[in-house]
Amino acid sequence: MIFRPRYFFGETFIGMRRNFLMFFTAISTVAITLFIVGFFLIIVYDVQGVLTSIKSQVEVAVYLKDNITDELKVYLENEIKNWDEVDEVTFVSKDQALEKFKKDNEGSEILKEIQGNPLPASFEIKLTSPEKVEQIALRFVDKDGNYIEGVDEVIYGQNYVQKLFSITAIAGSIAFLIIIMLLLAAIVLVFNTIRLSIHARRKEIEVMKLVGATNWFVRIPFLFEGFFEGFAGSLISVVLLYFMSNYLLIRGEKAIVDTMHVKELAILGVNNVILYIYAGLVVLGGLVGLLSSSFALKRYIRV
Amino acid sequence: MNMIEYRNVTKIYEDKTAALKNISLTIKKGEFVFLVGPSGSGKSTMIKLLIREIAVSAGAIFVAGRNICNLKQSRIPQLRRNIGSVFQDFKLLPNKTVFENVAFALEVIGKPSYVIKLQVPQVLKLVGLEHKLQSYPHQLSAGEQQRVSIARAFVNRPPILLADEPTGNLDPVTSEGIMKLLSRINLIGTTVAMATHDKNIVNSMRRRVIELEEGEIIRDQKRGVYGI
Ligand SMILES: Nc1ncnc2c1ncn2[C@@H]1O[C@H](COP(=O)(O)OP(=O)(O)O)[C@@H](O)[C@H]1O
Ligand SMILES: [Mg+2]
Repeated sequence: MIFRPRYFFGETFIGMRRNFLMFFTAISTVAITLFIVGFFLIIVYDVQGVLTSIKSQVEVAVYLKDNITDELKVYLENEIKNWDEVDEVTFVSKDQALEKFKKDNEGSEILKEIQGNPLPASFEIKLTSPEKVEQIALRFVDKDGNYIEGVDEVIYGQNYVQKLFSITAIAGSIAFLIIIMLLLAAIVLVFNTIRLSIHARRKEIEVMKLVGATNWFVRIPFLFEGFFEGFAGSLISVVLLYFMSNYLLIRGEKAIVDTMHVKELAILGVNNVILYIYAGLVVLGGLVGLLSSSFALKRYIRV
Repeated sequence: MNMIEYRNVTKIYEDKTAALKNISLTIKKGEFVFLVGPSGSGKSTMIKLLIREIAVSAGAIFVAGRNICNLKQSRIPQLRRNIGSVFQDFKLLPNKTVFENVAFALEVIGKPSYVIKLQVPQVLKLVGLEHKLQSYPHQLSAGEQQRVSIARAFVNRPPILLADEPTGNLDPVTSEGIMKLLSRINLIGTTVAMATHDKNIVNSMRRRVIELEEGEIIRDQKRGVYGI
């Protein structure tokens, strides 16, 4: 078969012009469905970012007894540093603790009531995997349930941290399911739209077969068209998503930051992951368009 | 030389309908043949077998000496380029002009555009539609539409032209015009086979008549009429 790009592109665009309504429907179906998928993905990613930044603020504070020996203190510090889950250990002496306390409560009545230095020294432990926080905390407790020698108390936000982790785990799997379902719905919808537009042109296919066109000759303009519809539709959805996430999400995030008093947030304008989501949507759009055409044609191309 | 040969051909459809029962017949190059018989006797089945729209259940069909029953799927387009087909319902594309409808048949078999520019006006002149190149099918009479479909079938100058009830939707006067056109195409050497149950046409033409009844040939007459 001779490859004749002018015929194929010509037919593709003539087809699109003459079946404008079908063409328009296919593109907007792709654009709308992928927009929904993408919007959800970005929201999930965004929430994930919020949760991660909350998690990363999880710390274990190990308060030491005032009478702890220097040897024991050094021993503990080295021991903690050696744990895999530990990112960073900071020793806060009694003096430093008092200083910080004074700074935090400047001008407050409470400072006048403080006599001497009631604040304990402590280790502040940052973790590489915040989920392990309870495990780490338990290492400072002996078999009988008492704190080990030299340790006065261990604090890590016992209740809320555990809840946060189980909630995010459940929310994560629900979000995953919803994304899969949205994706499936998008694919089915796009497939059906493209199938309909091919069905509308079955007479053309019949004539082509009748006068002796090869299967590839029949197929190629439809494949171009399907690909183009998927590609153009997904580009539109990405442009919409871009404006949406730039204006709405950033505002939403500011609101979250303000109301929840979270230290820092992954503010998402366009970063790498978002770019991947956009690229993924465009690839998906083109691919679904192409494959839909290919599958839908099977029925009409026989004979 | 035999252009077409049916050798002990039987066709049984999926639903067990026996449309053709052990048919044998030969058609010579340049012949004009009528396939006649009542509705459901198997005329269309014979035509569909020839362009491999369907496959035989038993027997063999030869076109220009070649058994088309064991043709690979990829060779079928080549067979169809050598057989023009015309139908009762014209099968024109409504959103293409007369010129485009005919040109389409050449485009999709990969003919270069200078061939298209040369052959399409030529064949449209042959069918008497040179003044309607830019019309759309809905702007034409039924007879003119059938001429376009004949032009499309013949533009590639195939050695064989098949017509399945081409006058089925036309009045007698218009039908006569179509028959003149088919005769002319036959006169330039094309083998023509036409299925019909139009008595007047068959009787006026005095050509070879093959009569079918319930999937069997009951008559094959050199210069026949519709019924005896
Ligand atoms: N696709 C099909 N499936 C099943 N039976 C069919 C099919 N096409 C035709 N037939 C049957 O085969 C017989 C011959 O049909 P056909 O060749 O169309 O006759 P004609 O063209 O002479 O009217 C009829 O009984 C018809 O019902
Ligand atoms: Mg018939």
